[in-house]
Amino acid sequence: MSVRKIFEKYTNEEIAHAFIIPAKLTLKQQKEADRELAEALKKSRLSLTDEQRLYGDLLQLRFQLETYLKQDHFDPTLTFGHFLNRYLKVINKKKKEFAEEIQIHETLLSHLINDRREPNENIMVRLELHSNNVIPAVYWYKLAEKEKEHHIKTDSAIRKRESQFISGRLPAFA
Amino acid sequence: MIIIEIAGKRSVPVIVERVEKADFRNITKSRFSFRWEELTKVAELYKLVFADKPIIIGLMALIDFPSECRIEIKLLASSVENVGKGKQYEGIAGCLIAYAAKKSIENYSSLASISLMPKTEIRQHYIKKYNMKPAGQHVFLEGGALLNLVNIYDI
Repeated sequence: MSVRKIFEKYTNEEIAHAFIIPAKLTLKQQKEADRELAEALKKSRLSLTDEQRLYGDLLQLRFQLETYLKQDHFDPTLTFGHFLNRYLKVINKKKKEFAEEIQIHETLLSHLINDRREPNENIMVRLELHSNNVIPAVYWYKLAEKEKEHHIKTDSAIRKRESQFISGRLPAFA
Repeated sequence: MIIIEIAGKRSVPVIVERVEKADFRNITKSRFSFRWEELTKVAELYKLVFADKPIIIGLMALIDFPSECRIEIKLLASSVENVGKGKQYEGIAGCLIAYAAKKSIENYSSLASISLMPKTEIRQHYIKKYNMKPAGQHVFLEGGALLNLVNIYDI
C-alpha cells in the first residue's frame, strides 16, 4: 500500500498506532532538523538527575548482560567477576563499602571479582536485592552457568584425570 | 514483552529479532506497506514475532548515530491485519519503539535517546502516546521518559 493510500484509508491516530512514516525533506531541511534535534538533546541531557543517570547505567549493564547470555558463544573475558566489577563501577562504590552493604567479607568479594571463587545462590540473590531487582539473580546464575558449561565442554585435563576412575567402558559405537 | 489480542483480551508474548535474509520471502509490500529490503543498505531491520511461532507482525528500520548517542527509527510498520479498526493485536508499534529504546540504552546508558521524523499530520500522536518531545521536524525521547518506556513495555 502506498503512503497516499495509507493516509486515505486510515485516520491519523490509526496510522500513528501502526506506523512510523518519515517526512520527506530536502537536504537543507534535513540538516536544519538535525541541528535542532542536536540542540534539544544537549539541553535535555543537562537536566538528567543523578538517579536517572544511575538507572540508565544499570539498565545498560543489564541489557549487555542479557545480550551476552542470549549468544551461543563463550567469551572468556565476560566472566561473573567482570560483570560484578562493572556493577561496582556503575554504583560507584569501593569494595569495602559494597561488601558491607551485602554483608560478605571483603576478601570474598575480591575473590569473586577476580574469578577465584564461584558465587553461591545467596550471593546472587543479594546482588538482585541490592540492585532493587534491576539485575535479577537468575542473570548472575546463568552467567556462572555459562562459564561452567564452557569449562565442562572443553577441559581436557579433567577428562584425563577422571579417566583413572573408569574401570569399564561401553564399546565404541559405529 | 507482550501485545494484547483484541478479540480475546489476552496477553500474548512477543520477541524482537534482527531480520535475516530468508525473512524477505515473507516481507511483502502488500503485507508491510513498504519495500523493506531496500532499507538494508542504510538501516538495521528488526522484526516483531510471536514468542512461540515465527510469524512476523511488525517491522522496524533503525539507524544508529553513535556520535549523538541516538538511534533513529527510520520506518516502522505493523502487518496489514494489525492496522485500523479491525486490527487483531494492540501494542505492536509500542513494543518496537520500546525495543529501539532498549538498544539505545544498551549502547549509550544514561545518554541514550531515540528519535523519529514523522509526517507533520501525525507527529502530535507520538508526542501524546509516547511522551515524546518535539525538536523541529524530529520528535525524540531521552532521560526519564525513555527509561519509563522501557519499564512500561517490560523489556
